[in-house]
Amino acid sequence: MRRSTVALLLAPAILFLLFGFLAPIAVGLGESLRAGLGLYGKIFGDSYYLEVIASTLALSAVVTLISLAIGYPYALILARARGWRKAALLLLLVAPLLVNVVVRSFGWMVVFGRSGLINAVLAAVGLPAIDMLNSWTAIVIALVHVLMPFMVLSIAATLEALDPALEEAAATLGARPLRTFVHVVVPLSLHGAVTGSILVFALCMGSFVTVMMMGGNSTMVLPLLIYQQLTVAGDQAFAAALGMVLLATVVAVFWLQGRLVRSMRS
Amino acid sequence: MIRGAYVVLAGLFILTPLMVVCVVAFTSASFVSFPTPGFSLRWIIKVLADPAFMRPLANSVLLGLAAAVSAAFLAVPAALALARGGFRGAAEIEAFLLSPLSLPALILSIALLFYFSRLGMGAGFIGLLVGHTVIVLPYMLRTVLAVARGADPALEEAAFVLGADPWRSFLHVTLPILRPGIVAGALFAFLVSFDEVAVALLMSTVSTMTLPVAILNHVANNYDPAIAAISLIKIVLVVAVLVALELGFGLDRLMLSRRRP
Repeated sequence: MRRSTVALLLAPAILFLLFGFLAPIAVGLGESLRAGLGLYGKIFGDSYYLEVIASTLALSAVVTLISLAIGYPYALILARARGWRKAALLLLLVAPLLVNVVVRSFGWMVVFGRSGLINAVLAAVGLPAIDMLNSWTAIVIALVHVLMPFMVLSIAATLEALDPALEEAAATLGARPLRTFVHVVVPLSLHGAVTGSILVFALCMGSFVTVMMMGGNSTMVLPLLIYQQLTVAGDQAFAAALGMVLLATVVAVFWLQGRLVRSMRS
Repeated sequence: MIRGAYVVLAGLFILTPLMVVCVVAFTSASFVSFPTPGFSLRWIIKVLADPAFMRPLANSVLLGLAAAVSAAFLAVPAALALARGGFRGAAEIEAFLLSPLSLPALILSIALLFYFSRLGMGAGFIGLLVGHTVIVLPYMLRTVLAVARGADPALEEAAFVLGADPWRSFLHVTLPILRPGIVAGALFAFLVSFDEVAVALLMSTVSTMTLPVAILNHVANNYDPAIAAISLIKIVLVVAVLVALELGFGLDRLMLSRRRP
């Protein structure tokens, strides 16, 4: 293929992203810097905003760890399954991805609500009703539900690529199943676990619809704060500055992933 | 034993919120409760006749189709160049074209809001389309690229040797080879756009509002079974598109390239 042909074929996509993606972000950055670094001073000098950033990181970390704990066994079972079982497990995993986040959050609202599923079950066994809506727990459960499939798919991809001969070799050499699992399977699937964790963490950092619907105003996270600054407070420049802080955090997370994966390969 | 119990529990966790929505859609009550006191079609009928939901639904379908088509026109040539080019900087360009994947959509959303108001255009269909095309472009590029990399370049060379001009060989040789990737990419692109909330929330106006935004607005103001009914209709539509594609063309035939003997 000639150089000029390559350039001609690539030009539309590159130009589109320059004008529709990079330029808007540059404008956003410019908006946040209109009054110098003052807005960033406001964010990093105020304990409220620092707490919001800390609680966003904490929420993402908890959701990532729970997704890893629940998702790893699922990935293991999925990677080992064959035939219709595998198809069924895969369908079960990706079916929720076809259902909107707003709809799924609404589903959890019905489950947790005052006259919802959980309280119906509690009433049936004679226990008092609880109000789980607008709680941190409800937010975490709904977020794990949204993000776990990404974790499972990342881990299952590395487990699929694992050569079964390695496990057979360990067994032949006398290793018990648990020992084989801890010393052979887990280290070899670590790559997928790291990729999945970073992906879930980054996606969680940017989620606000689920937090908004499940948490009411009980929990404030960075993306939700940005949304409120725009729609309620109408402070566009400050929203832009908060957006840049969020962007920097996400870029840092992906940079960390690149380093981790590279150090694991060598 | 443990494995079976785990799969059942995981299945319950995954399906409960979806199942609950489907049941509440058929409630006879005028409020949201689970279990429901009785069943009726009143909420489904109400929603189907309500322009406050049906117009956003039409907007969402239109936007999803437009974003998928725009992404195809941008991604197919780029994928061809990246798969065949073998030029310096190809890896960097590919990473750049895929980079919207790793950006939280909310950041793109605010950025587009400032950008379009700076251009004097404000929120509206163009802003929505640009935002959604940026978001779905990587999905389209990845699927087309996967097929283009697996294809045999000898086929195109043969067409060239036999005297076909580049345009004809593209139309009659390359495009049919890439078709599975384009169809799969378009399907992904449509579904992602159909579900997108962050950009739609800030960029849509009353007349261009998409369905997820309409549902979110409705939840904020009234918590009633209409949400469940429109959600069920949305789920049925998505499944219907997938089934229709499967029956009409065979999804695996569209998405997997024909294996060479």
